[in-house]
Amino acid sequence: MPFKYPKLCIISILLLFSLIALPAKAGSPRYINPEETMRLIKENKALTVDTMSHIECMDHRIPGSICIALEEFDKDAPSLMKDKKRTTVFYCESKNCRRAGEVYQKALAMGYEDIYILKGGLPEWKSAGYEVETIKRVRRTPVVSIKINQLEKMKAEKKNLLILDVRTEDMFKKGHIEGAMNMPMYMLHKKFHSIPGSRPIIVVDENGKRSFIVCSFLINNGFKDVQRLFGGMAFKEKQDRIR
Amino acid sequence: MIIPICVHHVTIVGSVLSILDVLIVRLRCLVLAASVPFRMQIGIRKGILCIAPFLFLIFCSFYAHASNLTMDCTECHNKEQFTAGFSKSVHSDNGCTSCHRPFQSIDRHISNQEKPFLISCGKCHSEIANEYKKNFHYIYEDFKCQDCHYEIHSLKKQQKGSKIPIIKGCTKCHANEEYVSSGHSAAVLKGNNDSAVCSDCHGLHDTRVYHTSLEANTAEAREFYSRKCISCHSDSVMMKRNKLSHKTVEYYEETYHGKVQDLGYATRVAGCADCHTTHNILSRDNPDSTINPKNLVKNCGKCHSNFHPRFAEYKAHPDYKNKNRYPALYWSFVFMVFLLLITFSFFWMHTLLWWRKVYWEKYRLEKLGIILESPLPHEQAIQEIKRFSGKERIMHVLLIISFFGLVITGFPLKYHSTAWAKALISVMGGAHNAGLYHRVAAIILIGLFLYTFWLGVSFIFSKGKGRAGIRGWIDRLFGPDSLMPNKNDWPQFKGMVKWFFGKGDMPQFGRWTYWEKFDFLAVFWGMFIIGGSGITLWAPEAASYIYPGWVFNIASIVHSEEALLAVLFIFTVHFFNTHLIPTKFPMDPIIFTGRQKLEELKRFRSLEYDRLLRENRLDELKIKHPGIAMKIFASMFGLASLWLGIIFTLILLWTFFFA
Repeated sequence: MPFKYPKLCIISILLLFSLIALPAKAGSPRYINPEETMRLIKENKALTVDTMSHIECMDHRIPGSICIALEEFDKDAPSLMKDKKRTTVFYCESKNCRRAGEVYQKALAMGYEDIYILKGGLPEWKSAGYEVETIKRVRRTPVVSIKINQLEKMKAEKKNLLILDVRTEDMFKKGHIEGAMNMPMYMLHKKFHSIPGSRPIIVVDENGKRSFIVCSFLINNGFKDVQRLFGGMAFKEKQDRIR
Repeated sequence: MIIPICVHHVTIVGSVLSILDVLIVRLRCLVLAASVPFRMQIGIRKGILCIAPFLFLIFCSFYAHASNLTMDCTECHNKEQFTAGFSKSVHSDNGCTSCHRPFQSIDRHISNQEKPFLISCGKCHSEIANEYKKNFHYIYEDFKCQDCHYEIHSLKKQQKGSKIPIIKGCTKCHANEEYVSSGHSAAVLKGNNDSAVCSDCHGLHDTRVYHTSLEANTAEAREFYSRKCISCHSDSVMMKRNKLSHKTVEYYEETYHGKVQDLGYATRVAGCADCHTTHNILSRDNPDSTINPKNLVKNCGKCHSNFHPRFAEYKAHPDYKNKNRYPALYWSFVFMVFLLLITFSFFWMHTLLWWRKVYWEKYRLEKLGIILESPLPHEQAIQEIKRFSGKERIMHVLLIISFFGLVITGFPLKYHSTAWAKALISVMGGAHNAGLYHRVAAIILIGLFLYTFWLGVSFIFSKGKGRAGIRGWIDRLFGPDSLMPNKNDWPQFKGMVKWFFGKGDMPQFGRWTYWEKFDFLAVFWGMFIIGGSGITLWAPEAASYIYPGWVFNIASIVHSEEALLAVLFIFTVHFFNTHLIPTKFPMDPIIFTGRQKLEELKRFRSLEYDRLLRENRLDELKIKHPGIAMKIFASMFGLASLWLGIIFTLILLWTFFFA
């Protein structure tokens, strides 16, 4: 008699399904597209969180967003995101959204329930035709990007050259250009005063996409000789492998 | 420049008028509030009449206020770019409020509480603004207009007719020393505006995301940039002006690289930039140029490996119609064209005359109601005689399969620009897959060729199998069982031509007719050409150890033209002679069933019939009527092949005349 205990059967099937569903919930993050995000914002339902650095977030963000950098999420989330049940959309500034993905996992562990990653990040948001807001703009300045072979030359020519690595501490620890100084982007707005202004600076980032705004920020704050490394560390490492 | 609402706060007049302003606003509020009960009691029209004097008073005072208060923003904002700079700028006809939204309160503006928000430049420059929304600089760097145009207040009108400002603008950040030393750059700096600057390839306001990232958007970017090169380099007027050939693109598209690129699979083959580089494009004579003969080996080595240095003698986009520059290519092409012309003018004529004769004859018999009597008694006439062995039949089925395989995978490359070619290739899952299938089919065909070659050799040099009157290999080679032409073929051919024109009976044939021998030998000799060139193109790197790179160009021409010859010959001449001729229409299944009626043998190949009788071998060739399964297979496979071939011929004809 297979249906002697129908309730038990149903319960065990449901349990089985929930077992299948559980890892899916924990493992694969939920994505939301710009259109849906916009709808939620208009209905005042969703909080959008920019996970880039403070400088970038103040420069351009989805209107009404709050700025919590990935590196500061553990520290800042409890005070800035008090309502753990509120719909929250994390985003960053690349199509892959690695930073937003990491924040998502952190938030999940911290007990935030209704959270999403903005699919395609800010680029997708802009491509969809939505505006961004500026709180404190970093005036863009012409910044020369140099390639890795030029960097080698410059290192030999300019003895006091400062290589400013703006990647996270972890990345810096894993490997960096010899003699580089680490100043992660998320703390740059507070600590840029400690960068020696008299030295020529080469800014190095992950993949060449963020060093430009750092250079502009530094130049706006009185630094004179600031250039950036083309393609960042990723390009340098690739070149090293080819060699 | 004169803005009524911008008021200077420190002037005494200004302070007095500010007070007046406040008074006027209060008065207006009072009047409006007072008018409400009036309106309610006496109706709107009368109400307006009542308050008209007040309104007039307010209007007068406001007008006086405004005209007196006409102040200049530049009294405070007196930097050079707002004064002299602005008056000379391209926007000098506009006022401050054209771009800055007027503010409500001067005091709040002064105390930095109220900023005159910028309105988008796109309000006037809407087209550019729309383009810019997809721009890389906006999407990833959040650039605004002023980030490239810098001091927007003193923005000068762009000098028309010079591209140099674009180079200057882009290289402020993108210090591309490679471009700056390139041929394009040198030409622009000399004042040649035909030459490309940054924006010609990357766009100006529409620099797309994939324009800048070859790695992330390889297919899109490669396709895009090659199109950019092509758009100028195929412009005949522009290229003529600059003493360059506008046909280079056309010649490139005749090569394997160009064909695959045109089919839409740019990632797999060399596009323009792979050989010429992206920014550092220099002329061939320049020792730093990637296409300088000294650097060619390295240049080809970016994609190819394990080749002899003479591999680099391959011509990337030759004009094979140029006799002086490329004599070997020219004469190969001429040879192939003549081969096609001669073959088809002969065989199409032969087929046409044959068809006419048979059709007319059939019509005559039909009209006269004549039914041809069998030359044999009924029981004998219906006896089946074996013509092809099982092995031979399987070989032909394999030949058909591999032939169609080669045609379907190869011809889209030959006619790369047509829609059917692109559709076929996409059905096969891309040019790479098509190439793979092409090679599989080629292996089958090469296997068949080698096996046939072995059969031929073992037939000619066999020992102890000689039949009556046949000794030695020469007798075998030119004997009645051989597919080699012999002394009987010429009289038989003459007899056929006479018969076509009603000047005699149809000649009698032996085991193989002259056109059957041609069918066989044409494929056999074609295999040397098409197979040899095919293997060369399959492994050009290895082939370079045997012959130089320009042979690959010849191989391409020969492979392609020989393929056309083979396809048209099989699908027209062979199909007509063997299947579509009215006596056999719609098809002759003999190659699949392997047998024919004795009547047919006697009527058509009486020399062979007589020989079999003479040699007493007729009995050993007697065979049963084919089974029903065999018949069905023969009809289905045969007809399907025929239809496929005919459809393909129609597509080809359409391509020749309309595409």
